[in-house]
Amino acid sequence: MDEPPVLHSRRSLTLRFDIPVSKTHEFWDALRDGRFVTTKCSKCGNVSFPPQADCPKCMNNGFVLVDVGREATLLTFTQVKVTPASFAASEPYIIAIGEFPGSLKVLAWLEGMDPKNAKLGMKLRVEARTSKEGNPYYVFVPV
Amino acid sequence: MNIAELAFESIKQAVDDAGVDKKDIKNVILGSAGTWYEESLPAVIVNEYAGLDSVGTMRVEAACASGSAAVKSAYNSIVSGEGDVAMAVGVEKMSEVDTPTSVELIGRAGSYMWEFENYGMTFPAYYALYAVAHMNKYGTTEEDMSRVSVKAHHYGAMNPNAQFQKEITLEKAMNSQVVSWPLKLYDACPLTDGSAAVILASEETAKELTDTPVWVKGIGYSSDSANLSRRADYVGLEAAAQAAKRAYSAAKVTPQDIDVATAHDCFTIAELMAYEDLGFCKKGEGPRMIREGQTELGGKIPVNLDGGLKAKGHPIGATGVSMAVEITKQLRGEAGRHQAPIKKGLGLVHNVGGTGHYAYVTILSRD
Repeated sequence: MDEPPVLHSRRSLTLRFDIPVSKTHEFWDALRDGRFVTTKCSKCGNVSFPPQADCPKCMNNGFVLVDVGREATLLTFTQVKVTPASFAASEPYIIAIGEFPGSLKVLAWLEGMDPKNAKLGMKLRVEARTSKEGNPYYVFVPV
Repeated sequence: MNIAELAFESIKQAVDDAGVDKKDIKNVILGSAGTWYEESLPAVIVNEYAGLDSVGTMRVEAACASGSAAVKSAYNSIVSGEGDVAMAVGVEKMSEVDTPTSVELIGRAGSYMWEFENYGMTFPAYYALYAVAHMNKYGTTEEDMSRVSVKAHHYGAMNPNAQFQKEITLEKAMNSQVVSWPLKLYDACPLTDGSAAVILASEETAKELTDTPVWVKGIGYSSDSANLSRRADYVGLEAAAQAAKRAYSAAKVTPQDIDVATAHDCFTIAELMAYEDLGFCKKGEGPRMIREGQTELGGKIPVNLDGGLKAKGHPIGATGVSMAVEITKQLRGEAGRHQAPIKKGLGLVHNVGGTGHYAYVTILSRD
């Protein structure tokens, strides 16, 4: 079948966002120091992940940082084979959701293991990483 | 064809079918997620092309449920007395960018900072997380999921408007390329260009326009967290279950009353979970429904007789409107080779946005 005629646009558009993290920079600062923490409302004590400066439960503005805990249980995972354009250079990666004591859940890459050996319920540890651009992030690794 | 030309094809059919003068349309609501086509303000582009002048208009976005959001918004304009006639249009053109860019744009549609920036989530990956949890809890198999795909292609082959009109074998689905384990190419809906349109009218006007009106009996809706890590579990879509309960309650009917349904099968696991979320079976029994053929023609509750998102195609913003078109045809007995037996005169549209971020369930009735 012939391709229908198109006008290949002369214009292209590249978007790169400067994402504000000022209200929760303490989270990122801690991550740079290798600590995985999150926010706890200074009024009602509600713990949030992802961290947020404003409490979604009582709407108070103000928080203290609390440790999330180091060991999580693997709830579910997948291995991404067909990657998005901006991850074209990545090898297939495993994405996992782990649950920490107190039922806080976190989504991150699961590194350092063959997906064939991943079993729901297995123990994971969270580790801080730094991207080649210098941005902090976190991953799971098997315990 | 471009976005306006594509929308026009459906708008013309809807206006002709309803026998309405387009000057009487007071509100035109466009469902379109956008970003993969060149126009930034599609509602006015579409209206201008179709000669819909001086109307109340907007583009609504509820991700893959934008179409149902458009129907709801148009419906609200009628019941609030803003006018006697409104139109909901859904349109998406996804073929203007390359596939990796589409994968990127859809993958970003979660909680960007926490799911995409560092982890490159894709839509198949989101639903794969649900599939793995469902398999682990209920013994659902990859074969169960492939059966949904085989069913979709079976009915797609009967739909002259479907993107894929060819039957496939279970073996072909099972052996297709892994996209995000355990989901394979044939577990995933395609990228699609498409449009759909429906005319909504007040009760009085509808009766003047046609002898075969289809009535909106109840609309249920809900939403859930953007971030998957804030969901209670990964074996069903809570927003969809809530939307279904609200729709049944609004329409004063039960799941057993529904003659025919469309379910949001963006991935095969999504259709299995939809059977459960809609109350067509108990939690965890979705796979048994497909194994036993209960959602085929002749089964307990036929689902996606138009081929579903998998075979008919999934032009994001058009899908919900297209589902309303399909159920309207079914209730009027105009669905041709894939016509379901209509006993109680009730059909259901289940339309999910994102990975259960948005959910709309719309119940339509012949009587």
